[in-house]
Amino acid sequence: MFEFRKISIGFGGMNVLRDLSIQIRPGDRVGLTGGNGSGKSTLINIATGFLIPQSGQILLDGKLLTGMPAWQYAREGIRRSFQSVRLLPNVPLQDQFKAEVHDIKTLRSLLQESTLAKYLNQFPSEIPLPIQRKVEVVRALIANPRYLFLDEPCAGLTNSELTAFAVFLSNHVPVDCGLIVVEHRRDLINMVAKRLITLDSNAQDSQTSHA
Amino acid sequence: MEFLQTSIDGILFGSAYALLALGFSLIFGIMKRINLAYGSSLLLGSAIAVWVNEHIGLGALGLFLVTITAAALVNIYVERLCFCPHVGKTGVTASMIASFVIWMQLDEISSQLLPQRTHEFPGIEIGSLEIFNLYLRGDQILNLWVAIIAISALFLLLSCTRFGLLLRASADNAETAKLLGANLSRIGIVTFAIAGFLGGTSAFLILSSDGHVTPLFGLWSTFKGLVAMMLGGVGSLVGAVLGGLLLGFLEAHTTNLFGAEYRDITTFGILFLVLILRPGGLMGVAHYRTDRLAHERI
Amino acid sequence: MSVYLASILTNMALISFLALSAYLVLVVGEISFGQQAFFGIGAYVTATATVIFDVPVGFALLLSALCAGLVALLLAALTLRLSGIYFAIASLCFAELFRLSLLQIRLPLEMDGRMTGPDGPEGFSNIRWIFDNNFEVVDFLSLTLACLGALLMLLFFVERTQIMFCARLVGKDNILAQSMGVRPNLYRMCFICASGFVAGFGGALFALFNTHIEPQMFGVMLGVHALAYSIIGGLGAPVGPLIGVAIDIGLLESIRGLSSYRMIVFGGLVAVLLIVFPEGLINPRFVNRVRSRTRPNV
Repeated sequence: MFEFRKISIGFGGMNVLRDLSIQIRPGDRVGLTGGNGSGKSTLINIATGFLIPQSGQILLDGKLLTGMPAWQYAREGIRRSFQSVRLLPNVPLQDQFKAEVHDIKTLRSLLQESTLAKYLNQFPSEIPLPIQRKVEVVRALIANPRYLFLDEPCAGLTNSELTAFAVFLSNHVPVDCGLIVVEHRRDLINMVAKRLITLDSNAQDSQTSHA
Repeated sequence: MEFLQTSIDGILFGSAYALLALGFSLIFGIMKRINLAYGSSLLLGSAIAVWVNEHIGLGALGLFLVTITAAALVNIYVERLCFCPHVGKTGVTASMIASFVIWMQLDEISSQLLPQRTHEFPGIEIGSLEIFNLYLRGDQILNLWVAIIAISALFLLLSCTRFGLLLRASADNAETAKLLGANLSRIGIVTFAIAGFLGGTSAFLILSSDGHVTPLFGLWSTFKGLVAMMLGGVGSLVGAVLGGLLLGFLEAHTTNLFGAEYRDITTFGILFLVLILRPGGLMGVAHYRTDRLAHERI
Repeated sequence: MSVYLASILTNMALISFLALSAYLVLVVGEISFGQQAFFGIGAYVTATATVIFDVPVGFALLLSALCAGLVALLLAALTLRLSGIYFAIASLCFAELFRLSLLQIRLPLEMDGRMTGPDGPEGFSNIRWIFDNNFEVVDFLSLTLACLGALLMLLFFVERTQIMFCARLVGKDNILAQSMGVRPNLYRMCFICASGFVAGFGGALFALFNTHIEPQMFGVMLGVHALAYSIIGGLGAPVGPLIGVAIDIGLLESIRGLSSYRMIVFGGLVAVLLIVFPEGLINPRFVNRVRSRTRPNV
């Protein structure tokens, strides 16, 4: 279980998160939403170790993670994507995964998503945005994460691309991996999430009905 | 009493460093970039002035005007070549690199203009005064006044004029500033020109005190300016001035206690310690935080 | 081969060590103005070892590289929190502190009727290894090229490993690296240490070749030149820095009438090239494109 325990953080005198407590279990599908500035990205940053909360703890299966450097969170199995696509600009697609997997044969067998195969030799600037977003997710999934945080993965995608992305997520994120998606766009949340957390002055946790 | 004299000497001399540091800080504060060619631009400006003087005599005023104009023009050249083409976040490193490559170029040009190594710099000569048994050098008092006037003028420019507002806006967020009507290209040129005039003045005052100019002035002023700027806190104008004065103060006392040989070691040693322990400098500049996230919004 | 040509080639090879040292630091994303200190450490350790302690030369070379590497590791550890201009200036302070300290170390010795030993600003003279072993310039060139060649082969093999990929990842995007579980500080420390090792080795050879070394030789400008070669040559492959060296010392030096203005031309040339190739000529994007074309088809 991944746990936020009474997390608080503020910037420049303004409280962004106050005593936030959330529990996420393996296999959960969580949607995280809220208005602008409500702290969604801040929450992901704290969850993945890029920001240290002013009070509260982050626990993974009871193990205290708060204060550890971000790379250690990643090694514990907590992976993420970023709001703007973060691929290495000078490296072709097949090499984007090199930090996780060095052998290209293993990579090919892991890459069952056939839409990526034809882009393997291309540089990010030559690859369409929906594919770039998928690459980011695949890159995280190759590491067999226990919890995956996606920060607005559908920013810039058309409605049909969003639907395809939702299907992609449903098909490829392992059953035992907890998925947390921050997204403005309700369609993605409705398609992917079984649970919805809304950030405003209090975090509201509600079950969404899944069509 | 000796402590007071040394302190005053140090602070007065430090005002020269303050002016140098102001030039660096202006560029870093406005454009978030370091211009490593700055010291050499000032050297070249002075070298040009001396060269002109040796061919057609100029008075002290003429020398001053040529120095600051040449320094400003060279600075603009640096801006056009090294900073204007490299925009955005990825351009920060490239522009710094280009500037230190041009540093080498400008130093070499200056050496060509000053073939005899040491050339006379007939600037202004000011006597000294004595107050309460304290001996104060007039040229250094002038330095301090110029520094004070310069920083006041800069503050007025930045806070009270529309141009200053645009300057500060583009420092914060270039894209938005463009939408507000800032012509980034013109802002770059003007900022560098101001830094050139400021630095040229500083160079004129320092070299007048020395009485001569050598090609080593480029490296010297680069070092002093950078050290003073970083002591005070990178990008802070007030920090630049305070850093310069502090540097002067520390150097004077070190020379007094340990002799001139150890002056530079102390300077670099103190800066190294500051960088390791409190990189934000005197002003605790918030630019710098150990948490990388502060630099980028992710 | 004429002695003149052999000398030039040896100097090019020696500075290539320093350029490669700067390259290793650039790969992990930092600009170091201090590599010349490691070069100097290598030089002084070899001089001391071969002259005073009569250590066999192979052992002396390795010892020099090791000492330089350890000092580099120290610098890396102290500057873990620093990046960008802060790291650059910190490395500059470090190097200057080293050079200035050397000026204070005066231990002149007389051996075989000649003055030797580190003697402050006078330097360390009479490093007579090449004379005692009847090494001609051409022989030394072969030795240097053999060492450089070995280093390049090593770098070439490392280039294809995951270690290098992760290092470049850290250099290009620290935050992305962390999000993938890569530990930036570890790579920084390793590569900066390795850069010290490489520079130290080059410095050791330099001391033997020059037979005389002094602190002034290891000043900022040496480091700045090596850095410029590395940057313009390109960060994509170890051959990049060598190309930078070849452009300046090789090409420009050989054009008659240009040689006294070499730095002026080189500086301007690099600044202009940087506009088109901000990551150098042999840049990572170019190298990766070539690699992916020549790779057996996926």
